[in-house]
Order: sequence, then structure tokens, then C-alpha cells
Amino acid sequence: MNNRLKVLRAERDWSQADLAERLGVSRQTVNALETGRYDPSLPLAFRIARVFAQPIEAIFIDTEQGPAA
Amino acid sequence: MNSAGRPRKPFGLGTYVLMLLGVGLVGGVVGAARALLGDQPGQLGLALTVAAMTFGMAVGFAACIWWWRGIDEAAREAHKWAWWWGGSGGMAVGAILLVSLTAVGGDAVAAPAGLTAPELIVGGMWTILLFQLAGYGIAWAVWWLKHR
Repeated sequence: MNNRLKVLRAERDWSQADLAERLGVSRQTVNALETGRYDPSLPLAFRIARVFAQPIEAIFIDTEQGPAA
Repeated sequence: MNSAGRPRKPFGLGTYVLMLLGVGLVGGVVGAARALLGDQPGQLGLALTVAAMTFGMAVGFAACIWWWRGIDEAAREAHKWAWWWGGSGGMAVGAILLVSLTAVGGDAVAAPAGLTAPELIVGGMWTILLFQLAGYGIAWAVWWLKHR
């Protein structure tokens, strides 16, 4: 699953450590999320959405379905 | 997560090392207690040994629960994956080694060393555990390397 975490983080000028602190996860986890090699649980996905004040589907892209129309 | 403010920071390497040191210390105390008290004759020695080991295991298990609750979900996933694949793989390798060794010439190894049957059983248990832990460690590192 792809996501826009890196872009959203860069727009806010946050480091991976900053985002990790806001999410309550480790910096390594943020890195794994950004590279798309780890898909978050639903609770963490909602937390990410809250931190960026965006809906989940605006952050995560289901590569099997393609971008939402 | 604390809804009133920022979520709590997950445990890092320092906490893990501290926990290992703490559990190791308890293990040392339990081992010393078992060495000092476990050779009491009859049921008393057995009861003291069981009590000491149960206490040590309970402390270790409680520490694991505390630590598990303090790490984040990716770290938990890494450990679950590592324990299943690495632990199972390591156990398989250890089992093949032990069974092969026994089939080929277990007596040739055990007899000169003067090992009794109970010592061989415990030795086999520790060998399998060590292989499991080795596989676990390798698989854990592989998980994080794959998810970088």
C-alpha cells in the first residue's frame, strides 16, 4: 500500500522523529511506514489521519484498487 | 495512547537493555538460591528448586508483558514474525542436528562425557532453545532490514 506520509511530513517540516513522537511510535516505524513496507493497523491509520487532519483515504492509496475516484 | 495529550513514547533500546539486566539479576539470584538451597535432601530440595524457578519465570514473564505493552505495533509485528519463522526454523535445525547426532552416535558423545539421561534431556532442551533464540535473532534483524 502506498501512502503520502513523506510528502505530508515534509509539508509541515517535521522530521521522522517529530512525526514518531506525535504518533507514539518509534522513528524506525515511521520510516517503515513511509517506504510503504509496513502497513499500519486501523487504529494507527486513524491516528495518522488525525495528526495530519486528513481522511485516511487521502493519505493511504490502495494499490490494488488504484486511487479513489 | 493518552487522548489528553501526546501519546507516550515507545520503549527504546535503553529500556530493553535495562529490562534484560534486571531480569538477568533476578535470574542470578534465583540460580544462587537454587544452588544454595536446592541440594537439600528429599522433597524439600525439590520444592525449593521448583519455587525458585517458578519465581524467576514469573518475574521474567511479568517483565515481558510490561515491555510488550511499551513497544509500538511494528516492533510487536517484528517480534511475532521473528518468533514464528525464526524460532520455528531454528527449532527445526536444532532438532535435525540432535536427532542426527543421536542416530549416528549418541552413545559415543554421551558416554565419554559421563552424562546421565536427565543431563542429556536438559542438554537437549537447552540446545533446542539456543537454536530457537538464534533463529529468532536472525529473523528479527531480517524483518527490520526488509522494512527499512
